[in-house]
Amino acid sequence: MTTVTLHNLRKEFDDVVAVNGIDLEIVDGEFLVIVGPSGCGKSTTLRLLAGLEDATDGEIVMDGRDVTAVEPKDRNVAMVFQNYALYPHMTGRRNITFGMKSSGDFTDEEIDRRVEEAAETLDIADLLDRKPQAMSGGERQRVALGRAIVRDPDAFLMDEPLSNLDAKLRIQMRAELAQLHTSLGTTTVYVTHDQTEAMTLGERVVVMNDGRIMQVDEPQTLYDFPANRFVAEFIGDPAMNMLPVDIENGTAVHDAFTIQLPNADGGVRNGAKESGDASIRDGQRAVLGVRPEDLYMATDRPNTGDETLNATVNVTEPLGDSLLLHCSIGETPCKIQAKARSEIRPDDTVSIAYDPARLHLFDPESGDALYHSESYASSESAAAAADHG
Amino acid sequence: MSTREIFDSRIESGLLLLPTLLVTVVFLYYPTALAFRTSFFDSSFGRAEVFVGLENYVELLTSSGYHQSIIISVVFAAVVVVGVVVVSLYLTFLIHEVDTGQGLYLISVIWPYALPPAVGALVFLFITHPTLGVLTGPIESLGVEVDWFNNGSQAFVVVALAAIWKQIGYNVIFMIAAMNNVPDTLTETAELDGVGGLRRLVSVYIPIMTPTIFFLVIINTIYAFFGTFAFVDLLTSGGPSNATNILIFNLYQEGFSFFNFGIASAKSVVLFVIVGVLMFVQFQITDKYSYYGG
Amino acid sequence: MVGVLQYAKQRVDALRGNYETQRIHEDDLGTHFQLLLLVVAVVFPIAVALAVSTKQSGVVTSVVDLLPGGYAVENYREVLVDYQFGRFMWNSLAMSVVIVVGKLIISVFAAMAIVYYRVPYKDLVFLFILFTLLLPVPVRFIPLFQLMNDLGWSNTILAITVPYLASATTVFILRQHFLSIPTSIVETAKLDGVGPLKFMLFVLLPMSKGVLVGVSIIMFVYAWNQYLWPLIIIDSEANQVAQVGLQLLQGDVQGGQLSWSLVMAGSTLTLLPPLLLMIVFRKPLLETFSIQQK
Repeated sequence: MTTVTLHNLRKEFDDVVAVNGIDLEIVDGEFLVIVGPSGCGKSTTLRLLAGLEDATDGEIVMDGRDVTAVEPKDRNVAMVFQNYALYPHMTGRRNITFGMKSSGDFTDEEIDRRVEEAAETLDIADLLDRKPQAMSGGERQRVALGRAIVRDPDAFLMDEPLSNLDAKLRIQMRAELAQLHTSLGTTTVYVTHDQTEAMTLGERVVVMNDGRIMQVDEPQTLYDFPANRFVAEFIGDPAMNMLPVDIENGTAVHDAFTIQLPNADGGVRNGAKESGDASIRDGQRAVLGVRPEDLYMATDRPNTGDETLNATVNVTEPLGDSLLLHCSIGETPCKIQAKARSEIRPDDTVSIAYDPARLHLFDPESGDALYHSESYASSESAAAAADHG
Repeated sequence: MSTREIFDSRIESGLLLLPTLLVTVVFLYYPTALAFRTSFFDSSFGRAEVFVGLENYVELLTSSGYHQSIIISVVFAAVVVVGVVVVSLYLTFLIHEVDTGQGLYLISVIWPYALPPAVGALVFLFITHPTLGVLTGPIESLGVEVDWFNNGSQAFVVVALAAIWKQIGYNVIFMIAAMNNVPDTLTETAELDGVGGLRRLVSVYIPIMTPTIFFLVIINTIYAFFGTFAFVDLLTSGGPSNATNILIFNLYQEGFSFFNFGIASAKSVVLFVIVGVLMFVQFQITDKYSYYGG
Repeated sequence: MVGVLQYAKQRVDALRGNYETQRIHEDDLGTHFQLLLLVVAVVFPIAVALAVSTKQSGVVTSVVDLLPGGYAVENYREVLVDYQFGRFMWNSLAMSVVIVVGKLIISVFAAMAIVYYRVPYKDLVFLFILFTLLLPVPVRFIPLFQLMNDLGWSNTILAITVPYLASATTVFILRQHFLSIPTSIVETAKLDGVGPLKFMLFVLLPMSKGVLVGVSIIMFVYAWNQYLWPLIIIDSEANQVAQVGLQLLQGDVQGGQLSWSLVMAGSTLTLLPPLLLMIVFRKPLLETFSIQQK
């Protein structure tokens, strides 16, 4: 059906570069999520796909057809907006059919049939005769989805469609969107700033920053093998801790601790890509990344025998299922996700153990990943990590 | 970077703009240019125009009648603007303070917005008429002899009162919107601090409403200069002894009593400059206060 | 006195544990009293006009004379028929409707071009239209009079309507409103390939109903209340408008040929159309004003 390819796509607004030459292949039928902080160019990328913005440079190819300069209406894509974009003076039904009727591609019978189908799929039959102001946020978003699917587009483009809903409804709609995609199988590009949404919905996730693509991978791969510091810190909540270290003889040396890097004797390599060229050298400076959930109280795990490090607790935040500690290791701030109901108070000094399979090293200048310990760690540690989670 | 500019046909946009631009050029810009041109000519009905250079302007500069008209206009504008703003502010504050009957109070003070100045003038002529007026008796019982057909100061007061009365509605419309925009939390904070009644108006509401009040001051000034023609024409015809002969009426007389189009055009140019200065001041002030979110 | 009563009431309410009532009746009676006084002052002149318009003569010597009289039908008939006010009102209505409809159409066109078309120089065009705020009728009625004579439009409805059709204020208000329509709705129309005509008729206008009504009322009041320009350019009674009709009545009453009750009947008639429209459509009117100030 629909494969979309972006070649060196670029968009400038006056002197601001919103999208800075990106290449991306969107596979037929996949659910692709673009995630990043505000201003990273994710929405602009989506709008370029829709044809609402004209590319400054590069090209967009859909199924082998260059659509870079094609009018939006001739691209056969449907867009769903954050604020639903329903016409307030039209009923649900008229909102859904207004665009179809404008295009003139459909007969009245065809339109009626499709509206019924869409209404059934989305369970909105009783909303068709209501105007948007008589609908709840969730209902409006359903009607907006109805307007999108009724045209049977080649691709759905969704711009933060759940951001205006309250937390509970958002989670429910998230599941429904996933289900809808499973049943329709239409290529979907979904933009969000919410990494949880990206991880739960995306078959593949594109992380963007400053108009560039940082990494494209399946959600678990993003989490386990972040390609750079930005992805490492953006994906996962609370964010990954970053500790400056020096590399000496396969160990990471910090002011307050020394950690043995598993299998680092023969030069550490980037575990994710096995590329081998991003190696680290003795004496090099690096940033050690370790997630709060991969650190724990040494007393909770007495048998692992890992090296421990000392941390001073500054603030404790009980999250219910865990206790989040804001600590200092030496001079470096660091978060630790400890067991719930741990008896830990501010100013305590605690002994911290870590999961050796979950260490990451990044280049302090470029931020590129240098090393992921999981590729080398023993299966025992990996199992322990799973147990910990 | 979303955009509303979804169409790009130059021909369509040109056609859409054409009617407005046509009327604008033919009936607004062209006559203005014509006024500038005629102001350098000696021009009247049925005579050939004669170029006189700056002579018309020189005449305005040296005409004591015109100087008097300028002074009267400025004083009149000052009285009207202050009167309208003070009365309207107080009315707005009272309406803002009550809960019951707010809608009714509001409509019963903003209706003069719809009042035709000519109607306002005739009604005022009737109720303050020196011999017949409903108000004349009560006022004279206070020891003032009502004689504004002959007494210039009294005539000035009558015209000013009528002009203030008509403009209250328009002002309250804008002021109530601005006062309702003052966050409730500020009102509550003031109440907790024991700042009540008029002091709350003066020290909390008025500062926050400054942009609106400035906007209204300019609008009211323009109104006092130009919008009060019907009051002057119907109440006093500029008299007695030119005591109410404001610039707009003076201009009307020049054009249509004396048919001196040259001098009248020069006077139009003077009015144009006055409007220009007022608008310029308004833009400056709007800019300066835009951070208030007004 | 008022304070004492209110205090007593509060105490009683408190004793009865009636705190809810106490909170609702928090309104200060003094505030209501002042409001009533001011409302009476604002309404009084028109109330007098209304009362006198129903009497045989316009002589008011006591409060009793302000009660409605029994000559209403006769007076209004006389004004409408004998003094041609029916004709004047009709001319005023025709003028106002032409101005409102014409202005609305060409201003919607212009605002649509300015907001929804991506074409060069449109900001300049908008400024060019806005700049006409500097050119109100008083600044250009002398040359406009000459222009109308040249066009041969004097004494016709063209003269009192066409020059008013271009409106910076209306274009500005419509533009502001169009800019407040969410971009995503506009973009949805673009994604659907909705053309400009369909967009205007089925998206833009239905979403602008309130503003369109509001500016229509503003324009109607403005047009209906015009006095100076018709006074100058219309000199046949058959084509005259109500505002200037009042001036004719005023001339007669000053000359002693006419009873004040008939003048007040004419004034009341002239006031009614804009007043009724304002009262009926006050909600969209007030909302539109709040756009204007931004």
